[in-house]
Amino acid sequence: MLKLTRRKFGTVALASTAAAVVGAMTLSPAVAADKINVGILSLASHSPSIIAEERGYYAEQGLEVEFVSFQAAQPMAVAIASGDVDFGLTAISGGLISLADKGVIKVVGGALQEYDDIEGQKVIVSKKAHDEGVKTPADLKGRTFGITTTGSSFHYMAHKIADKEGFDRAEIKLKPLQKVPAVIAALKSGQIDAWSIQPNIADNLTSGPDVVEIGSISDYIPNYQVTTVFTSTANATDKQDLVKRFLAALSKGIADYNAAFVDKTMSEEDTAELVKAIHKYLYTDQPLEKADPQIRAGAMRFNENARMNVASIEDQLEWFKSEGLVPEGVTMDKLVDTSFVETF
Amino acid sequence: MELILRNITHSYGETEVLEGISFNLKHGEIVCIIGPSGCGKSTLLRFIGGLERPDSGEVLLAGDPPSGSLNPLTYIFQDFALLPWRTVEGNVSLVLEDHGIRGERAKAIIDDVLARTKLSDFRKALPRQLSGGMKQRVAIARALSVNPAVMLMDEPLSALDSQTRELLMDDLVELWTRERFSACYVTHNLAEAVRLGHRIIVLSRRPGRIREVVEIDMPLSERPDRIAELDRLQRQVWQIMREEARQADLEIADVA
Amino acid sequence: MSHDLAHGGSPIQRPIDAANARPVPFRGGGFRHRKLGIVSPIVFAVIIALWELGSRSGIISDIALPAPSAALAAFMDLVHTGMLWKHLGASLYRLVLGWTLGSLLGVAFGLAIGLFSLARAGLLPLVSALFPIPKIALLPLFIIWFGIGEGSKVATILFGTFFPTVIATYGGVDNVDRNLIRMGQSFGLSWLSIVRKIIIPGALPAILSGFRISASIAIVLLVAAEMIGAEFGIGSYILMAGSLFALDQLIAGVAILSVMGLIISWAIGRAERYFLNWRT
Repeated sequence: MLKLTRRKFGTVALASTAAAVVGAMTLSPAVAADKINVGILSLASHSPSIIAEERGYYAEQGLEVEFVSFQAAQPMAVAIASGDVDFGLTAISGGLISLADKGVIKVVGGALQEYDDIEGQKVIVSKKAHDEGVKTPADLKGRTFGITTTGSSFHYMAHKIADKEGFDRAEIKLKPLQKVPAVIAALKSGQIDAWSIQPNIADNLTSGPDVVEIGSISDYIPNYQVTTVFTSTANATDKQDLVKRFLAALSKGIADYNAAFVDKTMSEEDTAELVKAIHKYLYTDQPLEKADPQIRAGAMRFNENARMNVASIEDQLEWFKSEGLVPEGVTMDKLVDTSFVETF
Repeated sequence: MELILRNITHSYGETEVLEGISFNLKHGEIVCIIGPSGCGKSTLLRFIGGLERPDSGEVLLAGDPPSGSLNPLTYIFQDFALLPWRTVEGNVSLVLEDHGIRGERAKAIIDDVLARTKLSDFRKALPRQLSGGMKQRVAIARALSVNPAVMLMDEPLSALDSQTRELLMDDLVELWTRERFSACYVTHNLAEAVRLGHRIIVLSRRPGRIREVVEIDMPLSERPDRIAELDRLQRQVWQIMREEARQADLEIADVA
Repeated sequence: MSHDLAHGGSPIQRPIDAANARPVPFRGGGFRHRKLGIVSPIVFAVIIALWELGSRSGIISDIALPAPSAALAAFMDLVHTGMLWKHLGASLYRLVLGWTLGSLLGVAFGLAIGLFSLARAGLLPLVSALFPIPKIALLPLFIIWFGIGEGSKVATILFGTFFPTVIATYGGVDNVDRNLIRMGQSFGLSWLSIVRKIIIPGALPAILSGFRISASIAIVLLVAAEMIGAEFGIGSYILMAGSLFALDQLIAGVAILSVMGLIISWAIGRAERYFLNWRT
């Protein structure tokens, strides 16, 4: 009966989210432990998983991986909760915590993180706002700030800036615009003043005349655990071995990614090969020569061995609670399963 | 005022509908135009009222309209053409409003024409509440309100059942006896033609030409009592039309 | 009958067998709608009761669908915090403004297309080309054109309601009885009188049913419109509930939209009865 309700939940919930998800949705096998579905977004931050597949790390662990593409993190979280997808990487959002509170998903590992020595997420403003005197994040008081949705990582970052700069959170006027392209359009045209985003997108924007960089997120949220690995509670409790094998394979992919794009210790030959492999999934609408620099640019470090910054996650959870975006009763135990990776 | 038709000829594309129609309509005279389906009777009536133009030939007006005539050439339509969203009096006032007649003056005219068409009790009724015969009486009242010189009647009784038709014919005769209006009355019904026409113009099948003009000098008011004579007349006209009607019936298929 | 007539010209005389006479079987039933006003509340009540029961007993998991009572509680939260009026106010402002402007422009363009050959030749292809474009797809453009303030939200609803109104209006004008127009001409009515007194009232039934559709479209588009930088509004409330996976709030928000739809449909029904009482 549990299976039945979960299936039904998937259908109901998915119908209410993106239609694209339905098309991409495949059913997870009931018994076969080594055939798994992994959700990815078309972003460079999902490369380690692709590397693990292309270099055969998943196969080494006896895993047969099928990638399922999503347009946004939220439907991916829902698909994992429903059991249609087994693993995913995404930022901690209100929706994700809400699902964890209902006991259907768990964070099991860390992925992207801010490090002081690596270029991380940037605070950028429109040319118009810059001309009006918004030169540092401290000037964001009374300004508009683009976010995708309430309870997104952008929302969190905006408030952390306000907290650190010592003005009221309400003094940053948040503008929910649902999608990243909409935020970009609004920023470029000066409809909103500011935004914070991963370096590859930020660099792309600031290279044009409309957008100016004014700060780094790592100054406001040191060691921010930006994205995490998560799976369904069913997997985390009943198929611990499967989760371990997945994380082991992903860790090898992470090591390659960091070596190739962050530390740049990998040979150019191997790196080019990785880029080629990643290009099978990312920027597929562009030729390899054009996609290559975009795949390499602005890479942020993934945590070795999917280590997890529990302190950062707890800070995020506390922020969600303080804003009343998630139920008061959510605990770290409900959200995170620390038994799989090293935590700090 | 008189109407003079000179050599009216018309065709729709390749199809010739009317050819060389000429006749005069004298003051106070009712001319019935009769002919088989598709002979262009209604088209001819539209030329007379200036709603369409013939390819060649002309329709002329001689003399002045009676003083106070707002719309010398006034139609009565087969389907009544009442505005369903206006009451009886609203439908009459519609044609007065554009002449700047409102308020008391309009009320006086409306009272008068509704009385003449025996509709005084129904002035607030909507068309959907009226029977077919009453609707046509409203249309007649509307036509009377503009004090026409010539009534152009396009099969005005064809949409009604036969009893209603009889009653309305009586009404029309009574009205004519009082008002002495001129009228061009198009019909395909011989009984109406012999009851109402001072002259019957029989058109041939397409292209419509004047086949025969039948003068009836029996006064309109006497006709109900001389049914037998009218019957004979009607049969006579039917003999003229018969072959045309049969041919027209065979042709009609490719007109539609 | 023709058979009998062929024999003698009059019906054959035979005694009527009255003893074995039986009523003609009735075959005319069915296919006719009766007014059963109490059925729909009962259907609603039964569905909600079953749903509540299912949720309480655990047959319906609370992550599949929250209980109606949970949705009601979320709704009451809105009422108590006073947020309901803020959300409703913001949404109604956008709906009323967008729909009114869209409808006015739509009726104006529809009349132009219906009345003038030049407008028909020039605008109709344009309307046909733009109508099927999902307005949501244009959101990024709307942000640039109308800003992320009220402009783009009103514009989304305006565009959504404009096209169906244009099509309903010119269709209504086309369907006005030509004989009535000819009647107007035959009585020497001016062009403006014919338009005002014959064409517009004649097209009104089509225009009003166009309003019915465009009002529903406006509500559908409310959620899309409030995707862009909306702090308040039923649509933004639903979007927020969706992104936080707060299903009770989601259902409460959707129910509010649904009630808005019912009220608008009722109001247009009243307007139809008032303006179109001349119809049979």
